[in-house]
Amino acid sequence: MDTLSRRLFLKLTATASVVGGAQVLSLDEIASAAITRPLPENTPILVVLTLYGGNDGLNTVIPYKDGLYYSLRPDISYPQEKVLPLSDGLGLNPSLVGIKSLWDKKKVAIFRGVGYPNPSQSHFSSMAIWQSGQNNYQLRSGWLGRWVDTQKFDPLLAINLGSVLPPLLVGEKRSGSVLPLGGYIKPVGSLVRDCSRLSLASPTDSPLAAQAASSLRDLLTVSAELSPILSSPTPAPLELPTINGGNAGGDNQLSQQLDLVSKLINAGAPTRVWTTSLGGFDTHANEADAQAALLSNVDKSITRFFSQLSQSTRGKDVTLLIYSEFGRRVVANASAGTDHGTSGPVFVIGDNIKGGFYGDQPSLKSLVKDNLAVTTDFRDIYASLIEGILKTPATAILGGWKGRVKSLLYKQ
Amino acid sequence: MATLAVDKERLAISRLYARFGFGPRPGEFAESLSRGLQSTQQSFLVKPDLALIQSQLKVPDVEDIGPRPPAGSTASNEYSTRLRNQNRELALWWLDQMATTDFMLNEKMAWFWHGHWATSIDKVKFALPMYDQNQRLRTHALGNFATMSQEMFLDGALQIWLDGQDNTAKAPNENLAREFMELFTLGVGRYTEEDVKALSRIFTGYVVARTSGALTFAPRRHDSSPVTLLGSTRSFRAAEAVEYLVDRQDCAKFISERIWYRFFSESKPLPQSFAGQGFEDRNIDELVSTFINSPYLSEADLPMVKSPVEWCIAICRAFGLVPSQFSNPQTLLNHLSKMAQVPFLPPSVGGWPAGGAWLTSASAQFRLNFSQYLIKSIDLAQLREVPRADRINYLKDLLGIYQLSPRTEDALRAVVDEPARLILLLVNSPEYVVGA
Repeated sequence: MDTLSRRLFLKLTATASVVGGAQVLSLDEIASAAITRPLPENTPILVVLTLYGGNDGLNTVIPYKDGLYYSLRPDISYPQEKVLPLSDGLGLNPSLVGIKSLWDKKKVAIFRGVGYPNPSQSHFSSMAIWQSGQNNYQLRSGWLGRWVDTQKFDPLLAINLGSVLPPLLVGEKRSGSVLPLGGYIKPVGSLVRDCSRLSLASPTDSPLAAQAASSLRDLLTVSAELSPILSSPTPAPLELPTINGGNAGGDNQLSQQLDLVSKLINAGAPTRVWTTSLGGFDTHANEADAQAALLSNVDKSITRFFSQLSQSTRGKDVTLLIYSEFGRRVVANASAGTDHGTSGPVFVIGDNIKGGFYGDQPSLKSLVKDNLAVTTDFRDIYASLIEGILKTPATAILGGWKGRVKSLLYKQ
Repeated sequence: MATLAVDKERLAISRLYARFGFGPRPGEFAESLSRGLQSTQQSFLVKPDLALIQSQLKVPDVEDIGPRPPAGSTASNEYSTRLRNQNRELALWWLDQMATTDFMLNEKMAWFWHGHWATSIDKVKFALPMYDQNQRLRTHALGNFATMSQEMFLDGALQIWLDGQDNTAKAPNENLAREFMELFTLGVGRYTEEDVKALSRIFTGYVVARTSGALTFAPRRHDSSPVTLLGSTRSFRAAEAVEYLVDRQDCAKFISERIWYRFFSESKPLPQSFAGQGFEDRNIDELVSTFINSPYLSEADLPMVKSPVEWCIAICRAFGLVPSQFSNPQTLLNHLSKMAQVPFLPPSVGGWPAGGAWLTSASAQFRLNFSQYLIKSIDLAQLREVPRADRINYLKDLLGIYQLSPRTEDALRAVVDEPARLILLLVNSPEYVVGA
């Protein structure tokens, strides 16, 4: 863990928000708020998906008309006929059929060559840079946490799916909240009666024992009013492969995370930022199958996410950002995998997004120390999202960053 | 908060077993009640015989498996399988020690130190350096903190974890130096950024072999120029700097704070009376003894949540279960993983969270599922032989529970005819999950 991630970690523990603590939400709270104080109609919502481990950008958005792609990656390149063609000689990984269809509807912006100067090839450092939104170690908080700082306090404003608060939601003064996955699966059978007896409030409980009782009670008390929100629509869980592609953090239940987010958005939760994650992209070995399976997970999960959102009026308000801490080395290593690299593509998807390519594709001819050049600074994208989606001035949040996406990102 | 009748002796003995041990084995708690607190305290504090501890340890199947063979080969796949098996074996091996050890305090302190010098196999990757670190923590668990700190500085797994070998004269890496002061010896705010820079220069020059954890010193990578560390300017050797840090009064205070935090209260501050007392010579056993013999052992309002590993091992000890002997022990690790605590996998260098962190609805649900799994391995015959009217009290003593609220007693009485349900409810009760 480097200096910055350590700082963020300390901040996390200092605010007692790592798993549990005051900032852990129950579904009850969010669902009640969705009913009593729903997000005003037409409020833009940002959903962030972090791919942990370093997704191989060159096999995600593939320069399939560039001979160098095939000569530099003889063993792990995708043949031209399998790539899903976009334009400019670029195509998507064959797993990304859902994103291709959204691209065809002009809802997908792909930023090429995204990174920052002097890229770090450490997972911890690079993820800390991406999540803090700066690379000069001046700020000890996350970019969306600092956005939370600028808003009127509301624990439901920014929520991470999963049990641990990621650094990007840690603010200088306040932080986002966490919603543990799976906390809403109710016990069944005799256990319901048993647990409701066991979780009654008792005047002899210490504060911690009372918390233990209420955590058990919360499992049972998703009220009749709220159950429909959480239980419908109830498509069968996606059967997705599990991957062992390294261990640089991130969750593995993306489809469940996004299912819950879409239900709560549709229900009107007063939440403007949702963060989700998928781990396993650290494909140092035998990359092709592992990355294809992971990208397929991403593709199926977000396809379903947008389809569920389209069932309410909120779908048009949602913008999804997908990024990873770095791309991977251009030339494959000796294990049919790739080592840590530098820049990679970033996806921004939504009804309001002007689809197409942004930024220049890094050239395979002029590599920088065997790595792709950085052609787009990630903070430009953050700034445009903070201003365009979250409607907040971005320069201060991003430590004085003045760069912006050059062409227009949003539909008029 | 209403209170039940106070029984300080039972409270203190319950805390001894739950906090300074991993929970009583059958009969131990009742036996301690009958011989009294003082005698129980003494038996916890008997100086451990390290040779005897080692002689009782199984040796896990971990060894240096060398570099990975070329990808795609059969050998490479076998290598991956072996690595995975070793890592699983190591975690189960330690859980077995916790569940079966005769030296509870020593093992509990090894667990405490694992959370203190928190190193994750997630980054270290190989089982052997993690095993060696674990043995180091066990050997010095109640030994001398100065010696432990010297050995931990030279620990291969810790060096890998905190990028020790990326710290060179040319390009210093502050990771290890910063944590060494902040999380291992002094505590936050007891040094400056200049001290971090100075210490990282002192710590330069070490190289680690990843698969074995073997550490070597490379003088050419070392920066031997004089630096100013916490007010003292000279050319420190690493060992001198470690000694200098551990000697400081702030170190005694910090280690006392950490013990208080993990054994008494994660929310209340360390009482003034402990600010380093008992740690003058940096002897860990003396410091722990000061805590164990203090009135805080029986003071009300110091509840502590059992972490997932502590909760699971306490059930194993009470019912004689051995983790590696479950029919599919991987399932046990999966349950612990859902509850977010697997040995050798701390979430960060700061170790695991404490207190309310383990009390989310998600963890309540995972705990319920986990206990259903554990109960399948419990032999219920013995409980069936206990007359129904006595079953609750029998289990209270078996598990070393201080008291139960009328709420929990009522819930238990309703299922007293069904041993499995009875145990399920008891181990999920607020009074068991959170020790008084």
